[in-house]
Amino acid sequence: MPAAAAAYERIVYRNPSEHHYMKVHLEFQDHGIGLNAAQFKQLLISALKDLFGEVDAALPLDILTYEEKTLSAILRICSSGLVKLWSSLTLLGSYKGKKCAFRVIQVSPFLLALSGNSRELVLN
Amino acid sequence: MVRFKHRYLLCEVVSDDPRCRLSLEDRVLGGLVRDTIARVHGTFGAAACSIGFAVRYLNAYTGIVLLRCRKEFYRLVWSALPFITYLENKGHHYPCFLNTLHVGGTIRTCQKFLIQYNRRQLLILLQNCTDEGEREAIQKSVTRSCLLEESSAGEELSDSGGEEAAEAME
Repeated sequence: MPAAAAAYERIVYRNPSEHHYMKVHLEFQDHGIGLNAAQFKQLLISALKDLFGEVDAALPLDILTYEEKTLSAILRICSSGLVKLWSSLTLLGSYKGKKCAFRVIQVSPFLLALSGNSRELVLN
Repeated sequence: MVRFKHRYLLCEVVSDDPRCRLSLEDRVLGGLVRDTIARVHGTFGAAACSIGFAVRYLNAYTGIVLLRCRKEFYRLVWSALPFITYLENKGHHYPCFLNTLHVGGTIRTCQKFLIQYNRRQLLILLQNCTDEGEREAIQKSVTRSCLLEESSAGEELSDSGGEEAAEAME
């Protein structure tokens, strides 16, 4: 007796994740400048608004973690806005007249990947 | 093959105030659209749209404006038009909005659309007008535009008829 025809369903994910996660670090030229989380988010949104206007300043951007001492944060942005956010972070030059720069440490479509960074691995 | 392609946006300036259309000027409107694009799409949008941007045609009586922009960025310009809420000229401030009627690849297609649109607007005006003198004037314009339409269609028919007659003779 012939076996029943196998029914199968093939699902192809072209982009597995609809959000991208970035680990960034804000560096100032002078030391001793602090920002709280609200000011940090205001800085990100004003960078987006400068370069891409009000439409892209309204992109759904979230700060998942923020450390005030080291000024480093993990951001979440929808995948279509990743290029815009990254380019506006690159072109941000100053905050309230003081020179600063964003260092992007890691970018990944999966949040779990940001927990371990093979660049910071110390091999003995 | 290798040329810069443009998109022409045919828009109508709609306003409550009748003086708003009369104070339309191409430089004022061009500056207003550029400022709005800079506000809505930032430095990137302003730079991308201002390369091929121009106000090609402006009719102060009907409020029709033809804007030109590059084909790659016409969507940025188009999406910034609803954010224009006022027209500022020589110290006078008029609230208005831009209604996009047609997007075409060449000025000729926009012109063809504009002719048909104006014909339809004349008929609508005829229905809505109350004054007898106005009604006669509009009826005269409608009959003249119909005659023009028939004559241009008739020329095309006679051309094709001439070609068929020439083939039959041979």
